[in-house]
Amino acid sequence: MLRQFGLKKSPWVVHFNCNSCNGCDIELLACLSPLYDLERFGIIHVGNPKHADVLLVTGSVNHRNARVLKNVYDQMPEPKAVVAVGVCASTGGIFRECYNVLGGIEEVVPVDVFVPGCPARPEAVIDGIVKAAEKLDLRRRGQPVSRPSLVPETHEPSPKPAAPPETVPATPASPAAPVAAPAELAKTP
Amino acid sequence: MSTRMTLGLAAVVLAPIVGGLIRGLDRVLTARLQGRQGPPLLQPFFDIIKLFQKEPVVVNRTQVFYAYLHLALIALATFMLATGGDALMLLFILAFSTLALVIGAMSVRSPFSRIGAQREIVMMVAYEPILILMVIGFYLANGSFRLQSVYEASRPMLLSLPLVFIAYLSVVMIKFQKSPFDLATSHHAHQEIVKGVTLEFAGPYLGMIELAHCYEAAFFLGLAGLFWATNAWMAALLAAGVFAVTLLLDNLCARLTTHWMFRFMWTVVFGLALTNIIWLYWR
Amino acid sequence: MSSIVSSEAILLLLLIAGPMIFGAAAWGVRTESARRGVVLAAVGCVVASGLALALRGPFVLAGARWLEPLGGILEAALVGVFFALGVCRRMWLVAAAAGVQAGLLVWEHFGADPASSVAPPFIVDPLSLLLVLIITLVGSVILLHGIGYMGRHAEHAPPTAAQNGRFFLVLIGFLGLMNGLVLADSLRWFAVFWEGTTLCSYFLIGHDGTEEAKASARRALTLNALGGAMLSLGMVWDHRQGGTGLISNLIANPASTPLVFLLTAAFVKSAQMPFQSWLLGAMVAPTPVSALLHSSTMVKAGSYLVLRLAPAFASTPLALVIALAGAFTFAATSAMAISQSNAKKVLAYSTIANLGLIVACSGINTPLAYAAALVVLVYHAISKALLFLCVGTIEQQIGSRHIDAMGGIFFKLPLTTTIAALGMISMMAPPFGMLVGKWMAIVSAGQTPLVLVLLVIGSALTIFFWGKWLGRIVTTAYHEKYHLEKIPRTMSAALVVLGAMVLVAGAGVMTVYRAWLRPLAISTLSHVYLQPDSLGLLQSVDSFMGWPIMVTLLVVVLAGLASFFGLRRTQVRLPYLCGENVVVGTRTFEFRSVMDQRTTAQVTSYYFTHLFGEETMTRWANLVALLILLSLFARVSLA
Ligand code: SF4
Repeated sequence: MLRQFGLKKSPWVVHFNCNSCNGCDIELLACLSPLYDLERFGIIHVGNPKHADVLLVTGSVNHRNARVLKNVYDQMPEPKAVVAVGVCASTGGIFRECYNVLGGIEEVVPVDVFVPGCPARPEAVIDGIVKAAEKLDLRRRGQPVSRPSLVPETHEPSPKPAAPPETVPATPASPAAPVAAPAELAKTP
Repeated sequence: MSTRMTLGLAAVVLAPIVGGLIRGLDRVLTARLQGRQGPPLLQPFFDIIKLFQKEPVVVNRTQVFYAYLHLALIALATFMLATGGDALMLLFILAFSTLALVIGAMSVRSPFSRIGAQREIVMMVAYEPILILMVIGFYLANGSFRLQSVYEASRPMLLSLPLVFIAYLSVVMIKFQKSPFDLATSHHAHQEIVKGVTLEFAGPYLGMIELAHCYEAAFFLGLAGLFWATNAWMAALLAAGVFAVTLLLDNLCARLTTHWMFRFMWTVVFGLALTNIIWLYWR
Repeated sequence: MSSIVSSEAILLLLLIAGPMIFGAAAWGVRTESARRGVVLAAVGCVVASGLALALRGPFVLAGARWLEPLGGILEAALVGVFFALGVCRRMWLVAAAAGVQAGLLVWEHFGADPASSVAPPFIVDPLSLLLVLIITLVGSVILLHGIGYMGRHAEHAPPTAAQNGRFFLVLIGFLGLMNGLVLADSLRWFAVFWEGTTLCSYFLIGHDGTEEAKASARRALTLNALGGAMLSLGMVWDHRQGGTGLISNLIANPASTPLVFLLTAAFVKSAQMPFQSWLLGAMVAPTPVSALLHSSTMVKAGSYLVLRLAPAFASTPLALVIALAGAFTFAATSAMAISQSNAKKVLAYSTIANLGLIVACSGINTPLAYAAALVVLVYHAISKALLFLCVGTIEQQIGSRHIDAMGGIFFKLPLTTTIAALGMISMMAPPFGMLVGKWMAIVSAGQTPLVLVLLVIGSALTIFFWGKWLGRIVTTAYHEKYHLEKIPRTMSAALVVLGAMVLVAGAGVMTVYRAWLRPLAISTLSHVYLQPDSLGLLQSVDSFMGWPIMVTLLVVVLAGLASFFGLRRTQVRLPYLCGENVVVGTRTFEFRSVMDQRTTAQVTSYYFTHLFGEETMTRWANLVALLILLSLFARVSLA
């Protein structure tokens, strides 16, 4: 009876800045501000993966930080979810073609929610976390949870470090998370 | 005897509920003071329920004992508070409860957790003498070390121990990890030492520690109420006052260093409590 | 009056002379294995005789008349040895102290009225029985540990070290001297044993023969010789004032002047401030020595004397000064222990602190305080012996006695570390005896404010140094595999036996208190005074409910064990290091830093050296302690 109040109502997030330009990170901080107030949803921004339920990643993955991202993800206790914040985290964004960039965080960890935008809007980020929390609850109950993917089926991890690829792979443009703010967000000043 | 037992057991069951509400209220009010809407009042319960639904993750297996010990001893202290047990023993058990957490934090090879633990010990050393002096004050005012005598006293403790009460306020600030003393772990200090003592406890074990914090909230406000134990309403008012002051100071102050806290507690606050005790002797 | 060959006499002879004979045998035998056998036999004999005395119960044995002159001769001989040592080794203070003692002996010999000399009786009362049990039981376990330890020590010891034979001679003989000391009622024989322990400690501390050891031994001898001179002075004074030279007589008819001298001697022996330096130096000795000196013998001789004399100075102005001196030592040394990173030194300071607690409680001098002193005496002996043996074992294994170097010894030495952790917990946590003792001490100090404040400060600081050290040693690794350490069987046996003693005695603390210590305290002090208030407190301690603590701990252990084994291997994960962990074996303190360099995170403990630094603190604390001590001498009247 009480169990339904758990995961859905108190998703604690840990934020990992992979390779971001800090644009998305600033928007994340804006979520904590009185205007957006993450804590309304019981969301706490904890500083470490051990206490977190949701991993927020901003920025694309490169060679140096791929293992760090994996490490942080592995340290989170089950059930857990990952939210990719911004187009960089989703696909690599404008950094995708850099010589050292692997692509979106999907290359390393399974992603549950993509939040598009460059940078992602705070409303969208909050909504992403709430969506992730719902998935967490489903996962606890052992129900099947779909995982969206932005990686094209033909995609192969690029052999890096090497010269940048000549052709730009097509970037899919259908985000999994809704862009529009939900009704209750509209009420906030 | 049996009524005392039921009273004690009722306290053990009710304390986390009351403590959880207090912590919820704390979070709501803090948010309002910061111009935010804040979480629902029941948020601490949601958090604890969630933590118990998570997978237990540890760095080494011995950690589980420390989490259990921390929770069990604070529950025992609550039991003793409600049954009117020996006040000094109560303090020792309380100290041991915190110590269990500290040792648990030091038992893992994590630098953040270590730093938090070291700070927590310093905090303990900073407030422990004040608490003991408070109990001595109870003894001098009532002639017994049993808390029972405080319940049965005809004159409120606050009238004999006003300075000790002020000193006790800073103890509560430390225990609740409020600024300027939120050194070892807090929701704010995560940039610096990540999460300090509680860092390597995850899932249910963190849940136990959160539960213990709820006990602590109820316990320490209850102890504040003891200063006016003759009248339940006044006791509640006193506890509410302590709560309000800690809340306000938390939002007004910046965090200070461990050494500063140690010096402050052992000079100013200790001096306050001591003055009161000496005054009691002279009376 | 029983004849000299009664069973009691044989028992006492076995207790006092038995260890010395075994010691001589250990010295005489040629091979190490034979020596091991002799020491084992000594262990058995000491334990058996101690238990036999406990079974026999209290009695008084009147000695023969010739014992008194024999005591005089022995004392003269000891003083002669001191003088010779002082002159040969250029310790002029020792020589001077011995000279003074010799002068006093001569003066007393010629000045005494021969008719007044009495046959020196030996008294077995509950207090001395308690001490004998501590000495024999704890002391013999230390001997047992010593067998294995010294075998290894001989391999690493500096070439200057003395032979193991001499070591065991002195070590085993020490127990006999201590037994004699607590059983003798005649001041003469008391002094003989007192000086004997001083001499023994000199040899034991100087065992390794290094410069440091020699200096420490010299310091110990100097201070204790001065203490010995104080004892002689007190004795002569007692005689001059018409005393019979019996401790029981001195207690029945107290006179301040001899009391002050005797108490000063006791302060030196139990290393109270400002005399603490000899005990701190004593830690250079091999571990069995420090364990013996610190826990069950030597320093306990001092606290025994204070406890013995407690009824004599009860409700006199002396009592408050003694309480103050003890409490000050407790607070100051607890503070200094915080700044120490040397494990043995932390233990040494904690020993001094606890002796201070005993002295303070005897000074407070209510039945409750006296009972508190007894509780601390008993439980400190067991726990401290255990801790010293553990630290010695650890030091032999890891080659360091630095506290910060002990992080992670848990997976190298699981058994020793577990027992050491148990020892530390028993020093500060419920339901163990030390905490109960401290609790009773604070409760009983309720009427003496200054003492109370010092006790409060001290007990808060105690948590600090134990807590940080305990946390350090229980650190365990990630995905650990434990292998029991390979240490000599005698050493592990000693540790296990002491650990079991800590557990059993700890669980039964209230029983021991009710059955033994409380009646003892009441009977010792009842004829002096018994305030209704202190009796009320005694009752309140008595009605303390121990079972909720036991139930809680039991639940914790059971629930903890269930969770412990319920954890899956995948649920044991790396600690958080910002995602940059490097795993080498079981170590997890390393992380990748800039340019992928491996860096080890290091967190040392807080030592607060700027507040509690040894040098500065010793200076002013010694001064204060000296002033307190001098105020004791205000009671000396030259009548
Ligand atoms: S999505 Fe845009 S704002 Fe966010 S990290 Fe990438 S480039 Fe920066």
